[in-house]
Amino acid sequence: MKKLVYAVLCLSLLGMRPATDDQECNSENLATACIPKLSDGFNFLKSYKVDGLAKDKVEYSYVFTKGTQYLINLCANGTNTDGIVVSIFDKERNKVATSKVNGQFISAIAYPCNATGIYYIQYTFDEPSSHCGGSAMGFKR
Amino acid sequence: MRLLVIGLAAAVLLSCSSGKKPDDSAFLQSLEKEPTAGVGVDEEVINSILEQIPSPLEISVLLKESGSKYAPEMLNSSNNLPKYNSNYKKALNLGVYGTDLGYTNIFGRNADGIKYISSIKSLADELNIGQFFDVETIGRLAANSKNLDSLLLITTMNFNQINHYLQSQSRDNLSVLLLTGGWVEAMQITCQTAVKNPGNTELREKVGEQKIILEQILLLFSFYKEDANMAGLLADLEQLKTAYDKVEINYTYKESTMEIVNGVATIKDNSTTTINITPQNVEEIRNITNTIRGKIIS
Repeated sequence: MKKLVYAVLCLSLLGMRPATDDQECNSENLATACIPKLSDGFNFLKSYKVDGLAKDKVEYSYVFTKGTQYLINLCANGTNTDGIVVSIFDKERNKVATSKVNGQFISAIAYPCNATGIYYIQYTFDEPSSHCGGSAMGFKR
Repeated sequence: MRLLVIGLAAAVLLSCSSGKKPDDSAFLQSLEKEPTAGVGVDEEVINSILEQIPSPLEISVLLKESGSKYAPEMLNSSNNLPKYNSNYKKALNLGVYGTDLGYTNIFGRNADGIKYISSIKSLADELNIGQFFDVETIGRLAANSKNLDSLLLITTMNFNQINHYLQSQSRDNLSVLLLTGGWVEAMQITCQTAVKNPGNTELREKVGEQKIILEQILLLFSFYKEDANMAGLLADLEQLKTAYDKVEINYTYKESTMEIVNGVATIKDNSTTTINITPQNVEEIRNITNTIRGKIIS
């Protein structure tokens, strides 16, 4: 009986693991790896984990300031941005910037802010994508 | 039987996934019994608001680029450190000293910065978050003014790590105090500089823009009304809000345009904000800010 319970427990554990090694998203490492990739002249502000394994989008917000230029970059495993798109929305949810331009995936956006306010930094995934990445944000005047 | 197996499996999974560091229980025990957010408040909501608060470093860069002179007399003296005996004061002044360190770094006054590094390390150790502050590396970088970029990078990373750790440990209240202390210090530096330079519209507008941050901070404090210390500070911040009610910020959206420059999607933001704030408004805001800051650093 004990052997049976042990066997079932092991099988259950395997079956209940939320993700296999292939499916795990080490977004923290990818976010950290993105920091040194900020262009020269930009001061590091934040790094963002982009773990979209269980959701369609990942969103953060930040108060951008008039007269300051922000740079947001993307890092992913494998090729370039791996289908990850970063977009910026203003407080009224108007899209003011995106890294997908004419079907092309760009790995960084520079946003010279002209209007102070709360902005939403949204990461979405264009298939095929592993829904896993990292991002860093810097600023300069 | 099936339920037993699933129960066992769940227990094993939970025990494997806690990911707590060995010092976590000591950390939690060492904190005063300050309440976390009220029952029913989503910590994710608090954390998302915390994430919005801009780095005080942005203001220091603006001050330097506006031609303001380095003014160490505006900063909190590192000699005040022994005054901070409660976790409430320690967290607030960890934020204050963090802003002061950023200010000295931006102005390349590393000798002054080293005093703040030492104070920050002491406060962080006393809050059991000293492991995130790499004082050795920071001290080494501070010894050479050519290391400014690395110095700014590592200090920002350390403060981000501290905030993330506090939030992950459900001690967001300390994170709120740390960010508030940093913001109030940046506010008083900006206000003092703006009052000294009444003709500088950009500085005046910078003071006005802080209305947006104050609203977010007030929202954060509203979750901790049960805490006497935080309720007291909330009352002071509400006074500041009354002064800010006279400041108007108008936003006009206009579709942005974009071009790709050296592989970067470069946006042209066509939206605008206009900030209506008079020199008298700045003075009133400065006076209230100074009073609040005086209570924090005393």
